Order: sequence, then structure tokens, then C-alpha cells
Amino acid sequence: MSPDHPDTSVTNGEDHWLRPSPEEHIGWDVDVLYGPWPRHHRDTTLAEVRDHLSRSTVAGALALSTRGPLYDDAEGNAQTLRDLAGCPELLPVGTADVRDALTAEDRLDELAAAGVRFLRLFTTEQAAEPGFPGYRHTVRLALERGLVLLHDGDPRRFGPPLMGRGAQVVFLDLHAYLLADFLLMAREEPGFKATTRMLSGPDSIERAVGTVGPRHLVFGSRTPFMDLSPQTLKLRYADLTPDERAAIATKNVEELLA
Amino acid sequence: MPIIDVHAHVGRWQFHLSSGDADTNLAQLDRYGIDLQIVSAAEAVVYDAVAGNAALLTALRTRPRLLGYAVVNPNRPEESAADLRRCLDSGRFVGAKIHTHYPGRLPGTTEMAEAFDVVAEAGVPLLLHTWGEEVTLLPELVEARPGLRVILGHAGGDAWREAARAAAGCDRLYLEHCRTATDAGRIAYAREAGVPVERMLFGTDATLIDPCVSLGVIRDAGFTAEERERVLWRNAAELFALPQPLSGHPTP
Repeated sequence: MSPDHPDTSVTNGEDHWLRPSPEEHIGWDVDVLYGPWPRHHRDTTLAEVRDHLSRSTVAGALALSTRGPLYDDAEGNAQTLRDLAGCPELLPVGTADVRDALTAEDRLDELAAAGVRFLRLFTTEQAAEPGFPGYRHTVRLALERGLVLLHDGDPRRFGPPLMGRGAQVVFLDLHAYLLADFLLMAREEPGFKATTRMLSGPDSIERAVGTVGPRHLVFGSRTPFMDLSPQTLKLRYADLTPDERAAIATKNVEELLA
Repeated sequence: MPIIDVHAHVGRWQFHLSSGDADTNLAQLDRYGIDLQIVSAAEAVVYDAVAGNAALLTALRTRPRLLGYAVVNPNRPEESAADLRRCLDSGRFVGAKIHTHYPGRLPGTTEMAEAFDVVAEAGVPLLLHTWGEEVTLLPELVEARPGLRVILGHAGGDAWREAARAAAGCDRLYLEHCRTATDAGRIAYAREAGVPVERMLFGTDATLIDPCVSLGVIRDAGFTAEERERVLWRNAAELFALPQPLSGHPTP
């Protein structure tokens, strides 16, 4: 359903949650993938992801092929750029495999030449920890190039080494249980952001906005691996002003893209 | 459409969020159109089962839209058996809840087997926190205890595939899918594995998790209206033998 044409007969009824509303409109989803993922029982193609998003309230997304993080970062980045060239609603995200960080400089130069602004790190799949030399090298090169990091993993472990470096980082795996630790860092780091994906507490989003402001949150769904409606509903029902909601759903990412 | 939430809590959690008290539960029920909620005391889950159950009873006496699970501590089966009887005798409790993380006991331990015996003896549904491949042990544990019916809270967590297969193999296991990380395809997988929609229940984990998360899972599940009705309330009404129409449980 188009967010511009909500079914108001339902949104105002007792099952109001059952149909999307304008408050669920998402300008940019920063956490979208496509392609094989062997731990899942089936894969999702780019065409299927596009179809899924087209039937949702998400208008645009930052996406990448799973080939980069799981198999071959150079080929995966090239595939992402090639595939998304024909997808106006999707912007390419690059990656560099921290297990082979001696090649990271080439990867980042290739991404910069292609105009890619976002570097997504997969420390969980690549079994990297904050102190690993390959991880640290890759991050240093990315920050020198002014790339925005889309960072998986526990912000309590990966956040502190990124503080004091002017880093623009979007933490993709912030759980509601870890919110206080993230906010302690975000109070000092204007470039630290987190997605609302797992901010599931009854006032997690509101507490984050109240403590550090809406500029520290963005929307990231992990489509197609996660259900989308729980996340858009959280933003819809959060006690936010329209400007705060728009910042999280759209404008904060637009600023990163500028 | 009526909604029964079979997995919720009353009281504070130790994280940076506002859990509130029992009136917070009621405010959330109103906000999302949930009619009844079956709750355990957070205090009983994480700290002191007997004291938490007693405090919950006080809250339940004046709130007919909330019904209770008495928390059973598998490390203390005799104490919990007596407490479970007291709670059920109050008329405000309709089931038992067993967590695995806080007492540090999983299915497969002697302590959990004894706790299952306690609940089976009481004859009420058990909401079990499930979060791992130990769910594969549940069919055998349940089959050995005639009449025991177990709700797999969180539907196994990360082990949702194993939980689905376990539930497919035992008609006294029920799936309830609340969790923060709402992995896509869990309900479809369970149905393909052979779990009938009649053994799927709606739960939220409120007030730890906002109910809209689980409502979103239902929205994305692709149920027909009839199936959605079963999951949202009819299955729970049958499992807990609740009066229909749903207008709150009578307070004794």
C-alpha cells in the first residue's frame, strides 16, 4: 500500500495496527541486503527484495549484495554497483572483508571512485573483534576517506575505539537492553547513530530522542531477514513529533548522503 | 476483533526503559485494543518467585483484564508446588511460567523435569521461556506427562526452526513468537513444518517489549482473517478455558 493513500477507515478502527499509516512512511532504510545467505532456509533475490519494499511503506534503501561480505568483497561490490544501477530506489553500499585487510585500500579506493558513501562491516560473519589488526586497519582507512560506517555487532565493544575520531557510524545491532551504553557514547559523539530495529522497549525510541535528540537514530530494517511491520509500527506509535519522526525515517540519512 | 496476549509481565526490568506497573499494562491494552493479558511478575521471574507471585496477586485482584501466571522456580520444586496451588486457588491465576535463564536450568536437567511434574500435577498450561536447541527435548518431556500443555515462549528464540519442528511433532506444544529481533518467515516455516494454526498464540512480552512489535509480526504473517482470529484470541480462549465473549475475568 502506498503510504500516500492510507486506508483511514481501518487506521482509526480497533484493528488500527493492521494497516499501514502515513506515520510509517520511511524515506531511507539503511539496512537492506539481497542474495544468498546459507544459514537461512531460502534466499531472497534482488527482484524479490524490490517487490517486498514496493509493497511496504519504505520508499528508499541503502542496499548491498551478500556476495561481498560472505564470499568476495571486490566482486560483491562490483555486483552491487552493477545491479543497483537500474534501481532508482536503492543506493549502493560497499563492504571490505576485514579478514583480508591488506586489500582494503584497493576496495575503499574502488568504492570512492564509484561515489559510494557507506561502508558496511560484517564483523559477526567475519569473526572480527575490535582489537583485531585487520579490522582496525580497515576502519582507519575508511575514516580517512570520510566514509560512513554501517557497523554490525555490539556497540559497547565496537563503539569505544571509534570515539574521539570524528567518525560517522551507524550501529545496526543496538538492542534495547544496551541503550544506556549507547546513549553514554552518543552524548559525546555527534557522529554516532543507531537504527531503531531492536529498540523494542515501550519507550526506547523516546528515551533516545529525549537524551541525545533524533539525529542519533535512523531506520534500518534488515530486510529481507526481518519482518518489516514491527519496525515501522514502532516508529508510528512512538511518542514523537512529526519532525522527530521525519528525522529518523528520512532526513538524518539525507544529511549523510549530502 | 478480540485479542488475548498470553505472554506479558508486570513490573520493572533492569534495563533503560519504562516498564511501569500493572496500570501501565492496562494503558497498553487500551492503546492497542488488547482485551485480556496473561502476565507473570517480573520480580518473580528474575528475583523471588514466591514474593513476586504474591505481589502480582494483589495487582490482579482489582484488574479483571489481567490474569496471572505463577512463576515456578525449577530449583525449588516443593516450595513452588505449594505456591502454585495457593496462586491457582485465588482464582486470578490461570497458568504457570518457567524461565530458564534466571534460574539457570534448561529442559534436560533434573530440576526442570521436576518443575514440569509440578505444573502437570496442577493441570494448567505452562508458559516456558525457550531460547535454544533444548526445545528439541520438549516433545519427549511433554509426552511423558499426560495433560501437560506447554507454550513455547519466544518460539525458541534463535532456535525457531527447531521449535517449529518440535511443535509439529507434539500436539500439546504451542508456539508464541514474541521477541525483539523479529526474524522473517518464522510463522510460515512453522506452518510448513506442520504446526497447525490452532497451536499458534499471540504474545507480546509487554511491558518489556512494546506490543506493537508482535502486532507487526501478525500483520506480516499472511494469515487469513479466520486464521488471524484463531491466533489473536480463539486459541488462547480454548487453551485457558476463558469465558466468551471476552469481557474480563471475574474477580472472586
